[in-house]
Amino acid sequence: MVRYFTRLRVRRIYKWGGRPYIFDRKLKSYGFDVEGQEAVTTVTPGQYILIEGNDDEYPFVAKLLKLFGDESHKQKKALVQWFLRLSEVPQNKKLLLGRSPHPQEIFYYLGRACDDEINAESILGTVHVQHVPEDTPFPEPGTKDTLYVKLSWDTKAFNVLDPVLMQDTSASTPPKPAESIHSASKLSASKILSAKRRGSAADTPGVRKKLQLSIGASECLYLRIRNYRAAAMKRRPIVRKRPIVRKRPIVRKRPWRGRPEEEIARPPSGPHTKRPARRYVWLWNLLDNTQELISDGDDDCFVPSKKELQSSSNEEKTDSEEETDSEEETVVKKTRGRNCKTSVRTPHKTPSKKVTPSTPRCATPCIPSRTVPARQPGNILEEARARLHVSSVPESLPCREQEFQDIYNFVESKVMDGTGGCMYISGVPGTGKTATIHEVIRCLQHASDMDEIPTFRFIEINGMKMTDPHQAYVQILQKLTDQKVTADHAAALLEKRFSNPAPKKETTVLLVDELDLLWTRKQNVMYNLFDWPTRRHARLVVLTIANTMDLPERIMINRVASRLGLTRMSFQPYSFKQLQQIITSRLNKVKAFEEDALQLVSRKVAALSGDARRCLDICRRATEICEHSASHPSSAGLVKMSHVMEALDEMFSSSYITAIRCASLQEQLFLRAVIAEFRRLGLEEATFQQVFVQHRTLSRVEGLQPISLSEGLAVCQRLGACRLLLLEASRLDMLQRVRLNVSQDDVLYALKPVRD
Amino acid sequence: MSKRKVKETHMPVGECISQVQMILRERFCHQRLPEKPVGMESQHKHLLELLRRTAVHGESNSVLIVGPRGSGKTMLLNCVLRELLEVKDVNKNVLPVHLNGLLQTDDRIALKEITRQLNLENVVGDKVFGSFAENLAFLLEALKKGDRSSSRPVLFILDEFDLFAHHKNQTLLYNLLDVSQSAQAPVAVIGLTCRLDVLELLEKRVKSRFSHRQIHLLSSLSFIQYLDNVRSQLSLPQDFPDTKFYDEWNDSIKTLCEDQLVVDVLQSHYNSSKDFRSLHLLLMLALSRVSASKPAIKPTDLLEASRVCMVDSKANILHGLSILELCLIIAMKHLNDIYEGEPFNFQMVHNEFKKFLQRKSHSIHNFDKPVVIKAFEHLQQLELIKSMDSSTAKIQKEYQLMKLLLDHSQIMEALQKYPQCPTDVKQWAMSAFG
Repeated sequence: MVRYFTRLRVRRIYKWGGRPYIFDRKLKSYGFDVEGQEAVTTVTPGQYILIEGNDDEYPFVAKLLKLFGDESHKQKKALVQWFLRLSEVPQNKKLLLGRSPHPQEIFYYLGRACDDEINAESILGTVHVQHVPEDTPFPEPGTKDTLYVKLSWDTKAFNVLDPVLMQDTSASTPPKPAESIHSASKLSASKILSAKRRGSAADTPGVRKKLQLSIGASECLYLRIRNYRAAAMKRRPIVRKRPIVRKRPIVRKRPWRGRPEEEIARPPSGPHTKRPARRYVWLWNLLDNTQELISDGDDDCFVPSKKELQSSSNEEKTDSEEETDSEEETVVKKTRGRNCKTSVRTPHKTPSKKVTPSTPRCATPCIPSRTVPARQPGNILEEARARLHVSSVPESLPCREQEFQDIYNFVESKVMDGTGGCMYISGVPGTGKTATIHEVIRCLQHASDMDEIPTFRFIEINGMKMTDPHQAYVQILQKLTDQKVTADHAAALLEKRFSNPAPKKETTVLLVDELDLLWTRKQNVMYNLFDWPTRRHARLVVLTIANTMDLPERIMINRVASRLGLTRMSFQPYSFKQLQQIITSRLNKVKAFEEDALQLVSRKVAALSGDARRCLDICRRATEICEHSASHPSSAGLVKMSHVMEALDEMFSSSYITAIRCASLQEQLFLRAVIAEFRRLGLEEATFQQVFVQHRTLSRVEGLQPISLSEGLAVCQRLGACRLLLLEASRLDMLQRVRLNVSQDDVLYALKPVRD
Repeated sequence: MSKRKVKETHMPVGECISQVQMILRERFCHQRLPEKPVGMESQHKHLLELLRRTAVHGESNSVLIVGPRGSGKTMLLNCVLRELLEVKDVNKNVLPVHLNGLLQTDDRIALKEITRQLNLENVVGDKVFGSFAENLAFLLEALKKGDRSSSRPVLFILDEFDLFAHHKNQTLLYNLLDVSQSAQAPVAVIGLTCRLDVLELLEKRVKSRFSHRQIHLLSSLSFIQYLDNVRSQLSLPQDFPDTKFYDEWNDSIKTLCEDQLVVDVLQSHYNSSKDFRSLHLLLMLALSRVSASKPAIKPTDLLEASRVCMVDSKANILHGLSILELCLIIAMKHLNDIYEGEPFNFQMVHNEFKKFLQRKSHSIHNFDKPVVIKAFEHLQQLELIKSMDSSTAKIQKEYQLMKLLLDHSQIMEALQKYPQCPTDVKQWAMSAFG
C-alpha cells in the first residue's frame, strides 16, 4: 500500500466584508467574493481572536474591538483588547498567581504598554473565550477550544476581573450562524458535491475548508479570512499516485513561517502529525462546532466531509489536550509524538535526528533544602561578617554614582523611545560593573512599576556560564520565551523575533557579561548581538561587560566593532577612599572595626588592585582572627590594626620562603646546589646531573652521608611538585633541566640560619 | 595504665602478632584516620571554623589547602569533615561533593560527576542526562534557586586543584567561585593542591572571585618530634586484648627508639623528607619482618628496611648485566670523560671496546659485531642509555647519538659489587683514559 503525504501550506487572504461605518477614517466595504473552496473565517468586532505572534502554538489572544482600514484598503487595521497567556507574564511575576494555572487560562490585560492597534492581517482566526467568576472552579476540560478568563493582569498583579468588562462577551460568544444567506443555501449542494467527489478526492491535493462565522447585525464591518491549504496533510488510503495539480491561482502568498527544523524533519509524516495542523486547531474546531461548512463547487477540490473533519478535529483535540496539559518542551513532545507513530506507519522515513537523552522535563533544578534552618548571626562580629560577605546585597551602591547615572540615562532613554542600542562597559575585576547594572535595572524596574516608563524585560547572560559562544542564543531565547531549542534554531528564531514587527512588543534589555568569551572565529555571535539593536523593530538594548578597555579594537573585526558603537564606559579601580566608603556603608553602623584598621585595608588593596571583593574578603578574615584571638567569642572587641595586619599577611605574603624554611635538609641542600651550579655555569639553567655533582660535594662539606642518585631524583621531584623548581618531563631522568621558580636571593635569604 | 582491666587475657603469640600487624598496617596504609592531626592544630581550627560557618550559618566560602605531597592535606580535610559530620545539626545538612583533577579531566566530566553526587533531578540511577550545556545550565539554575538560609550547603572538594585550572576557560572554577560570592545556595569550595604558585594559574576574573584564603601545611617538625611520632605510630593502642603482650611490645618499641642505630636511620630519613608517607613505607617494611618466632622489631630490621628504601634502582640493574654489557658501559664512561658528556654512538663505543680488547684484555675474547649490537640494544631497552635524536627513523642504528643515564659513582659502585668481575675489566674502568 503506497501512501503519500503532502505538506501543509497555508495562505490567507484578508478581505473586508459588510458595510463600513463612515468614521473619521474612511472605510470601505467589500462584497462577498467567493472564489474556490477556501475556508473563510469571518471575524467581527466583539469576537475573540487569535493573533499571530512569536509562538506558533500559542498565538496571542485578544478581543476585537474595531476594524478599520484606509481608502485604498491596502492597510487593514484592528483595535483590540489584549488577553495574556500565563507564558507571556514575566517569569518573576508568575508566582504572584499563587496557584497553578489552568492550561486554558488567560488574563485580561489592563496594562498600557502594549499597542492595541494591530495589523488586521495578523489575525489568525477566532476563539471562544469564557468568563469564569472568581470563586467558581474552571469547567471540566471538555472543550479544548475554549479559553477561560478569570483574572486581569495590570503588569503588577493579578486582580479579580470585573465582569462588566466581559459583559458583551456573553452576547457574542457563540458565533451564531447568522449564516449568511449564501452559505446556508449552498450547504446542501456542497454536501452532495463533496460526496460525489469523494472518489476523485484522492488526487486533489488540498483540503480547503471554508468557514464563515457571521456577524451580529449591529456591526457593519467584518473581516473575512480565507485559509488556503495548498497541500493538505491528508493521508488518503488510495493507491493512485498523481502529481498534485494546483489549479487555483494563488492570490497572495503568506509564507509559512514554520520552524526550519520542523520543515526539514517532518516532510514524510502523515496527516496525524501534530505540528503543522496544530496551528489550526482552533479553526478546525470552530468549523466543527458551528457546522458552517460551505462549499461552492466550481472547482474540483476536495472538501472533507463532516465526518472526516470530525475525526481529524478530534485528533487535534487530543493533541491540543496534550500540549496544553503538560507545559512540556517542544522537543520532547516531538520525539514522543514521533515515536508513537512509527509503530503504525511502515516506511517511516523521518530523518531521525539523534535523540540525545535530554534532561527529563519533570526535573526541576534545585538543591535539597536543609532540615534545620541556618543560624542567624549572633554577635556583632558575626553580623559584620555577614554584611561584609560579597554576596550580601548592600542597601546602596556608593562610589559609582556617575556611572550609575550614565547607564541609567542610557537605558531609560532607550526604553522610553522604544529604540535600541549598545553599550560597552570595561573595568578590572571587582570594580562593581555587574553590580551597578543590576542596580540600574532594579531602579528602572521600580520606575516601570510606578508607571513612569514603559515595562521592559531584563535578560542576563554570562560568557563564562556557557559552554560555547553559540549557547548564548539558546539562553537568550530560553529566557525570553521559555523555549528550549538548539543553537542554530534559536539563532533563527531570535533573528525573526528581532527583525519582524510584532504587536505587543516591549523593550528587551540584555546584559552580556564577560563579553570576550563570546568570541568566535567568525565573530557571528557578537555580530548578531550588536546587529539586532540596530533593527527597526527590535527594541533591544544590549549592555556588554568585559575586563579590557580596548577589547573592541583588539579582538573585534571592523563590522562588529562598528555596530557596537562608541558608547563606552570604563570603571576605574576603586581608590582607597572609595573602598573605605564601601566598607563603611556595608557595615552600616555595625561597629566592628577601628577606623585605622579600615583605612589600612583600603589603602593596601587600593595600592594593589582596587578590587572591592578582595577588600571585603580581607575584612572578613580580620573579623575571624579577632574572634579567635579573644578568649571567649562574646568578649571579642573591635577589630584592631593587628588583626588586619595578620589577615593581610596571610593573604599577600608569598609562601615560598616559608616553604623553603620548612623543607627537609636534603631539599634545602639541593636548592643550594642548584644555586652553586648556576653560579658556576653563569646560566639560570642546569641539568640534574650537574646539580647532583654539586649536591654531593655540598653534603660532604656539611658532613652528611651522600645520598644515592635515585633519592636525589626524588628530592628534586618533590621540589618540582611544589613548584620551587621548574623541571622538564621526568622521563629524561638525570638529563632533565632544572630551573628555579624563585629568585636566588629569596632562596639564600630563606636558607640563612634563623637566629633566635 | 592503672585503669586497665585487672583480668589479664592471654593469647597465643601468633595471634597477637597478627593482631599487631593488622592494627599497624591499617595505620600505615592510611585506612583509618588518626584521632587528631599532628602538628597542624591551627590549620585544623581554621578549616573547621570555616566549614562550620558554611554548614551552620550558610555562609559561602572558598579556601585552598596548599602543602607539599604527603604533608597531610587530605588527612586534615577528612579529619575536619569527620568532626563536622559528628555535629548533630550539620550531619544531615551538608552535601559534600568530591572531585579529583586526575579523574575529572575536563569540565564536562566534572559537571556530570557533580550532578551525580548532588543527586539532582536529572540523574536517573547513575546516569546523568543532557548535554554539557544543559548540565551546566541545570546545575547553575539549581544553585541559583537556593538561598542562604533554606538550602543545604554544598561542599565542593577539589583534589588536585591546579589541574582544574587547566580546563578550558576555567568555566567550572569561575562558576563555583562565582556562586560562592553571590547570594545563591551556600557553597564552600575547598581546593587541595601541592603547587605553591596555584593562584598564578587562575585567570584574573576567576582569581578576583576567589577569597584568597590559603591554608599552608608546611611541617616544621623537629627531629625530636619526628622521633616521638615514630614511637606513637608503632605503639599499640590501650585497648589491645592481650595486656602482657601489650606491655612487652610497647617496651620493646621504647627501647628500639632509643637505639643509636635506629636514631641514625631515622635521622637520615628525616633529612631526606619530613613527610609521613615515606616514614610509613619504612615502618611497613620493618613490620613485615616481625613473626611469631621474632615477636618484636629489632634495630637491624629497620636498618634493612631503610636499605631497601634508599637503594639506588639503577645500581641494582647494573648488577644484572652481562660482562659484555658492563664493558660497553665502561667504554661509554670513558667516552663521556674524553668528550665531556657529549653524546656518542654505537660505533664509537664499539671502537673503544675493541681498543680495550686489543691492548689489555686477556680474559675476554672477541665478540662478533651483531652480538655487541644486541647488547647495546639491551642497554637501550633498560633505559641505561637514551637516544638523543627525537626521530629514530633516518639514521642507522649504529650512528644514532646516545647519552648515558648513569653517574660515574654508580658505575664504580656496581663494579665493586659485581660478582666475579675480571680484574682487567676493573682496571680498565678505573684507569683515567681508555
